[in-house]
Amino acid sequence: MRRYETIFIVRPNIAEDEIDAVINKTSSIIEGDGGIIIRIDKWGLKKLAYLIKKESQGYYVYLDYAGIPASVSEIERIFRIDDKVLKYLTIKLADSCDPEAIKEELASIEAALTSAEDETKEEEKVSPAKAAETTTEEEVKEDESPSETAGISAENEAKEDEESPSEEKQAD
Amino acid sequence: MPPKKRIFPRQKVCRFCADKSLVIDYKEVRTLRNFVTERGKIIPSRIYGNCAKHQRKLTDAIKKARQIALMPYTGPTYL
Repeated sequence: MRRYETIFIVRPNIAEDEIDAVINKTSSIIEGDGGIIIRIDKWGLKKLAYLIKKESQGYYVYLDYAGIPASVSEIERIFRIDDKVLKYLTIKLADSCDPEAIKEELASIEAALTSAEDETKEEEKVSPAKAAETTTEEEVKEDESPSETAGISAENEAKEDEESPSEEKQAD
Repeated sequence: MPPKKRIFPRQKVCRFCADKSLVIDYKEVRTLRNFVTERGKIIPSRIYGNCAKHQRKLTDAIKKARQIALMPYTGPTYL
């Protein structure tokens, strides 16, 4: 049993229940081969970075599952035939995984979800904060870079004394 | 004789080594977008000072994101 994740893009003008039909079909293939579906995520309509089959938008669906290689090739064969699916990408996350451990994990996640729904809210709070951090880092970088190139200026004298005494000597 | 102007490059630290919470994932386009140019080209590690290990993972992630149209092969990242 291997762990995979698959993302596929469906045409944007397809009805919701037809997308569900595609998802059900793929999940039945996985489960038919004795695999386990860990997560199904509908990312919804997103703008594509480039045109695919003359479409500029696409409906993204994310699948996380444990299965056998044969089911992956079967899913991809059906995606290729299916006109509704624009593009797909399957990535192997782990070479081997324990199906029973995953089942236990899933059960514990479900229990956690039902007991405390606030946790998901907290997670959402964390992610924007992370994004803010990265932006501030960049700003700092930009602030520092001019002082490097400026060389010997009155303001930076004290700093340069510490950092580069050799340069001071040459300047004298 | 004019004094030789020597530039001392600031020691660059790999961002992913410094900040362990920053993960490289091809699905997280927001972090990946910092490491490509406006035209979508991958910025070499000598600019940001990423370590070889993380730069390798980064390029892999960007290339995967390109395959599934989360990031462009060329052209602006305006998403």
